[in-house]
Amino acid sequence: MQTDQLSLTFAALADPTRRSILTRLAEGEATVNELAEPFAVSLPAISRHLKVLERAGLIVRSREAQWRPARMQADPFDDAVDWMQSRKQTWEARMDRLDAHLRRKGETDE
Amino acid sequence: MSDSPPVAGDREVLITRIFEAPREQVFKAWTDPDELAAWYGPEHMDAPRERIRIDLRVGGRWELTMVARDGGAGEFSIGYTIVELVEPELIVMRSDLMPEMGMHEPTVVRVEFHDHGDKTRMTLSDGPYAAGAHHAEAGYNAAFDKLAAVIAG
Repeated sequence: MQTDQLSLTFAALADPTRRSILTRLAEGEATVNELAEPFAVSLPAISRHLKVLERAGLIVRSREAQWRPARMQADPFDDAVDWMQSRKQTWEARMDRLDAHLRRKGETDE
Repeated sequence: MSDSPPVAGDREVLITRIFEAPREQVFKAWTDPDELAAWYGPEHMDAPRERIRIDLRVGGRWELTMVARDGGAGEFSIGYTIVELVEPELIVMRSDLMPEMGMHEPTVVRVEFHDHGDKTRMTLSDGPYAAGAHHAEAGYNAAFDKLAAVIAG
């Protein structure tokens, strides 16, 4: 999975509404109307969210059916999970910052 | 970089670091909001002091929100409950469940601080992270607190 695709995936996931939509779609396909139900947002807003998710490859939408139900696409999802399992990198980067912080602090105190 | 060992298995992150600071100070970096605000947020993100809440006791809360710098989009809150605490040696925290986001199982961050005089050896474990496809949802959501860095980058 390319970094650019990951960026798209993660950018798509940055929004809580979109995460909730995905959680719903993990249970099975749904139409825009069904997806909009739990949210206090308009149908066009939900459609925009779906476009972002579609572009990120996280969902696919049927071209045939009138209501174009959306369903989850597993591949980028799994890739993201795999990638996320190396949370180690993030922790390492975080520890680099902690190290820098402690060094700064040490200099100030001396 | 570091000589930390690789990820143990595929469910848990393990990190060991030596810091050039006494143990009390490293412990404080994790548990004093003023300190935490100075380093926790990833590049291009801040962890504002006023949105950090730490109640340093077993059962107490450890919470912060990462906010995109320069008015960028997105913020992400993480929350833990402290389950073990030995000042200044050990802190163990259990992540919040976010069932509405598909995170049905907690992860545990365990940080040990070993005294080496003017240095501190810190070990950190974080997990378990789901590996199987049927756990994808949980793994996905468990990772959200790290997404911020990618988004901001």
